[in-house]
Amino acid sequence: MSLIALRNMTKIYPSGNQHITAVDELNLFIKAGEFAVLAGPSGSGKTTVLNIIGALDRPTEGAVAVDQCDYSEMSKKELADFRLRRIGFIFQSYNLIPVLTAAENAEFTLMLQGVPAEERRKRIEAIFAELGIDGLENRRPGDLSGGQQQRVAIARAIAPEPAVILADEPTANLDSHTAEDLLDLMRKLNREKGVTFLFSSHDQLVISHAQRVVHLRDGRLESDTRQDA
Amino acid sequence: MYKHFTTDDQTLNKLRAQENITGISERLRGYGLVSHADNSYPAELLGVHPEMERTVTSLQNQLSEGAYLEPDDENGAVIGSGLAKKLGVKTGDELVFVTQAADGSIGNDLLMVRGIFRTGHSGHDNSLVLVSLPWLQRTMALPGQIHELTLAVDDPLQAAEYVPTVSALLPKGLETTDWGELLPEMREAIASFDVSRFIFVVILYFATGLGILNTIFMSVVERTQEFGVMMAVGLRPRQVNHLVLLESLFLGIIGAILGLILGLLISSYMSRVGIDLSTWITPVTYAGGTIQPRLKAIFETRNFIDPAILLLVVSLVAGFFPARRAAKLQPVEAIRED
Repeated sequence: MSLIALRNMTKIYPSGNQHITAVDELNLFIKAGEFAVLAGPSGSGKTTVLNIIGALDRPTEGAVAVDQCDYSEMSKKELADFRLRRIGFIFQSYNLIPVLTAAENAEFTLMLQGVPAEERRKRIEAIFAELGIDGLENRRPGDLSGGQQQRVAIARAIAPEPAVILADEPTANLDSHTAEDLLDLMRKLNREKGVTFLFSSHDQLVISHAQRVVHLRDGRLESDTRQDA
Repeated sequence: MYKHFTTDDQTLNKLRAQENITGISERLRGYGLVSHADNSYPAELLGVHPEMERTVTSLQNQLSEGAYLEPDDENGAVIGSGLAKKLGVKTGDELVFVTQAADGSIGNDLLMVRGIFRTGHSGHDNSLVLVSLPWLQRTMALPGQIHELTLAVDDPLQAAEYVPTVSALLPKGLETTDWGELLPEMREAIASFDVSRFIFVVILYFATGLGILNTIFMSVVERTQEFGVMMAVGLRPRQVNHLVLLESLFLGIIGAILGLILGLLISSYMSRVGIDLSTWITPVTYAGGTIQPRLKAIFETRNFIDPAILLLVVSLVAGFFPARRAAKLQPVEAIRED
């Protein structure tokens, strides 16, 4: 059973009088526990696919299901709830909330889920220790390095234990050493905890760490390979 | 001069028992000549019981020299500064008052100047002399008689509404008038001031609302990416709306608290001291009243509470549009904003 299922998914954006086909009849199935990357050059449609899987955007045609839930007919409120419970996001620019501390950022989604404060604190403490950022709980994003901020972003993504974590170019703003450390960390979470990761990236470092590489070109599937990572 | 009447303790006590009446004074007026040495000038003498007069006027606070009348001071006089200057008198000097008494005789007697007042009202300062009521009654040959009963009320702007009640408590044949009837120009001036103040307040709150709207709107625009991320990780549009409205409300609460503290300090100073403009402006007599060259405030709780509540309402209304905008953001587009 696939955790993520895209069937003949097409996404067309209007651009003035023209229409741009960002994704063209894509069929893609990702199983639970996979560590996959959507690779391809700029404009290949990988971010669009990630946004649609993450319920941030809707397909023009075709069907999308995550964790056996088709959300094509959901309202904005239902989509927000869906993202809250099933999707974890890691962004290229970390996108932490600057006025909140690292711990507050990480427990933001747990708070939205209504998890009691004491349980939130315990869970975040454990996650921070696992990600090697314990001791930074009370620092604000502006006082953290890029690598530390991205670890806090990972903590925020994994804290609510979502079905899948979607990471859009997560290492693009990091130096190669920090990027490798982070990828190793995410791979560890994938192996040890079974967390499903789906990246979008054209970074060879990310591609080399992936268990499965899905190449896109002009919105179409070019290749889908599995590798030892 | 010949329309005079008497009052009794029962009537006075009935008036005093009224909740909205804060002061009562019996008065007798007399007109004549006051002289000192070779100087004589026409004057208006106001016979009063000093302890009663204190409850309806504030002349005792406007003395530039000497002291106010004492209850047992039979022939004491407090005179206006302009008249004192023209007569060349100072505290302790003697005055001669000559008038035609009610019985047709020539009434005259000596007065001792106890004090000199300066109100800024040219009519009062140049002709008014405050004397003891029994003394003036004797001089005018009007024993026990008065010309008017002056009342002070808790809310002068509501004085006209109290007239029927007061009238019912007085002996028949007496006319009761409020200050608005006696000084219609002043009443109109106050009414027009109320209108202009209302317009000013509306403009002020509108400008405040625009200021708050601009602040909240800019805050939302600058944090578009932040809202996008919050929505991406699961914050509902309605929660975003509430978040912005709450921020707007908190901004209003903080503003109201700071405004209350600052307003309290400024109003306290302005009600006690005020700003003295006498170096540049002289007192202006207008419509029977005197505008003093001193900016002063009246210390009232309403002046703090009403603006504070209105500010909170304005904050919420001003936050409504930015809150709607934030709630309508598309997370994908919002996250891309720089």
